[in-house]
Amino acid sequence: MPDTAYYMLSWLLGIGSFVLLMLAVAHVVVALVLIIPTWRICVRAGFSGAWSLLHLVPMVGSFVVMAILAFGDWPNGEGKPVAQRS
Amino acid sequence: MMGIDLAAVLGLFGLTSAFALVALVLAAWMCWRIADKAGLPGWAGAAAILLTLTGIGSLVSLILLWVFAFMRWPRDGGVRLAAVGAPAPASAGAPAGAPVSPALAPPAKALADRRGWTLAGGGVTLAFDDGRAAYTLTGEGSGAPGELVVSDPSVGRPHARLLTAAGRIGLEDLGTPGGTLIDGARLLPSHGPRDITAVRVIKLGNVELALSRT
Repeated sequence: MPDTAYYMLSWLLGIGSFVLLMLAVAHVVVALVLIIPTWRICVRAGFSGAWSLLHLVPMVGSFVVMAILAFGDWPNGEGKPVAQRS
Repeated sequence: MMGIDLAAVLGLFGLTSAFALVALVLAAWMCWRIADKAGLPGWAGAAAILLTLTGIGSLVSLILLWVFAFMRWPRDGGVRLAAVGAPAPASAGAPAGAPVSPALAPPAKALADRRGWTLAGGGVTLAFDDGRAAYTLTGEGSGAPGELVVSDPSVGRPHARLLTAAGRIGLEDLGTPGGTLIDGARLLPSHGPRDITAVRVIKLGNVELALSRT
């Protein structure tokens, strides 16, 4: 294999690694923007705040957190204020 | 050949769109339920998700998520009202976030109880009132003000702290080996001050003291 092919291959590998790293960093940053409010919502609902870390799982993580909050019984109570029901 | 490729690409795009649509509807449904559980109107939660369909994009949904996380939930107001047994506020049906605390009137000053208390038993009678905010129950007096001495080897030096406030008294164990019991229940230092206004008997070490009003 000529030297230029090796150069091309190493450049491609380098650029590919850099792009993957940047994608990973961007994913964590975006996840963090979601994790902070979700952590607080989970704690106020009575769940462990650590459930919000599921946002780090690509694609389905956010849906799992939402499903836990939407379909789980909130330990800290849920619904309208008791005084306003009737 | 080109036509087949184009059809395949369009088919893939349609499949992706279908998945995106299902995900959007699912997310809107779940947000409806979450908003409802927080005491907010469910449609507001669903609308926050469906906003991503508009030209504003998903940034507004993200901002609304932060607002939802840190805003006051109507559910919390209800828990507080239920805890004190207050009647329904006149502002029922008010917009979310409206304060409900005005329904709680301060206690009437005419009901203030100025009587003192007596702890009696084990050969001692200790009388005190809420003239001081705190008293120290100890087995041996050191001359410090606010000391209530129970001379017994099983009583710590000091043993516990008595706190008084507006007709109520509290007791806090200071972590002595003899231990403290409130109507037979163990009081630990980690419990902090406990309200003993309605308690009949406290036990410091081996000494049982009956609590009464004077």
